[in-house]
Amino acid sequence: MQVSPRLALTLLAVGLASAGAAPARAQDSPDEPQVAGTLLRWFTDSDHVTVRSLSTDWAWPLAHASGLTFHYNNEKVMIPAVSAPPGSQEAIDAITTASRPISGNAFQDFVKQRNEVEGEYARGAGAVSYYVSSETDYLAQQLGGRWNRDFRQQSVNLSLGSSWGWDAIAPVQDDDTRTGDAHKTTLHWNAVMTEVVSPSLLVRWGLEYNLVNGLQHNPYRNVYAGGTNVPERHPEERQRRDAFVRVNQALPNRASVKLSYRLYNDDWGVTSHEVGTRLSQYVTRGLSARWEYRWYTQTAADFWRSTYTGVDGVGGFLTGDYRLGPLASHLFGAALRADLEAFAPTRTFVRRMTLWLDLERYFNSNNYSANVVETGVDFRFP
Amino acid sequence: MNRGLWIFGLAAALLALAVGGCATVPVKPWQRERLVDPIVAFKAEAREDARKMKTFEAREGSTGGVGGAGGGCACK
Repeated sequence: MQVSPRLALTLLAVGLASAGAAPARAQDSPDEPQVAGTLLRWFTDSDHVTVRSLSTDWAWPLAHASGLTFHYNNEKVMIPAVSAPPGSQEAIDAITTASRPISGNAFQDFVKQRNEVEGEYARGAGAVSYYVSSETDYLAQQLGGRWNRDFRQQSVNLSLGSSWGWDAIAPVQDDDTRTGDAHKTTLHWNAVMTEVVSPSLLVRWGLEYNLVNGLQHNPYRNVYAGGTNVPERHPEERQRRDAFVRVNQALPNRASVKLSYRLYNDDWGVTSHEVGTRLSQYVTRGLSARWEYRWYTQTAADFWRSTYTGVDGVGGFLTGDYRLGPLASHLFGAALRADLEAFAPTRTFVRRMTLWLDLERYFNSNNYSANVVETGVDFRFP
Repeated sequence: MNRGLWIFGLAAALLALAVGGCATVPVKPWQRERLVDPIVAFKAEAREDARKMKTFEAREGSTGGVGGAGGGCACK
């Protein structure tokens, strides 16, 4: 199914125009302060890929139940050089299946930067947002809108959201692939219901749908087929849908447990299950600790193979990318969060700060693992 | 109808039942103090969840779970 940009924008406009006049008070917080936050994130994996992220977020409450939010993120990505001896089979394998462009010298690190900006204006029950992400070979833009309304004495909130994304892809020169400039569009819809079930229990569930059209394979990857290696080729259309439920339960002794489950399915044949748990506990006033575990499993795409007998693959499509293969993963995390209002002397700006530190260990069934360290500070303005 | 759509139909029906089952006496605003605590509220972890989804999207074959979508990826 092909969705034209005009149709998508029309659908988006209709959705936004339906934003009713009834304010959503469960989401409405006129007393919320202006908040600014900054974050440093360091990602490193078993392939020695590193990603350093530095981001900032601002939230300005405005008059008439409206507000602005702004997000900026800068990322520096480093994909290391092929470390195998030049000319060896190991080096040839690494080069032909690389997810990075290789032009001339594969024995050199590949470094690129990505900048991302997102802004949202919310008023009453509706909100509109714009997102742009730019890097050497990829420009992504997205226009979004959402609307929400309360029911049952503000105990139930229904949120409907939609977005239209259009990406321009301009692969840089690569010695063993020849993908030209391409594009990708994403039409997204979601419906999310949040319910205050009891004075200690929140439940949220949602349905999401994405229709993706355009280039969806990594333009730099090859796969072994018919005794040689050929560029990967994915279908141009993908329908992706998921349903999720989240349960947040406050526990006695200033603790909480959060449980989540997500079921995902698409028309490429991938079905996945995700289960998440988070346990939080205040150690002392203002200082909380959190433990996290996430389990994930997925089936392979119908056309995924580690190698193909012929160059036509399965139905004309080929991929050896492990992300579309059978996969199971685990994530363990621990975090500390300190609201300095509980520790600093009165009438100092330090009392307006919250500091946090988050450590994560991720690993999957493809002998892949990664470590993530995040630290940040949030500041509440007077 | 393919197997995926059946699974989704079933999931939607179960979710609808779950919400219907939650329909009890509405909780009064003054009874919600614990629900706005940062260790309980959904909002407190929304940014973190969006960041994590982006990381998982780059390394796994699925997406979703946070009620929104993004684009672009500085990943390998």
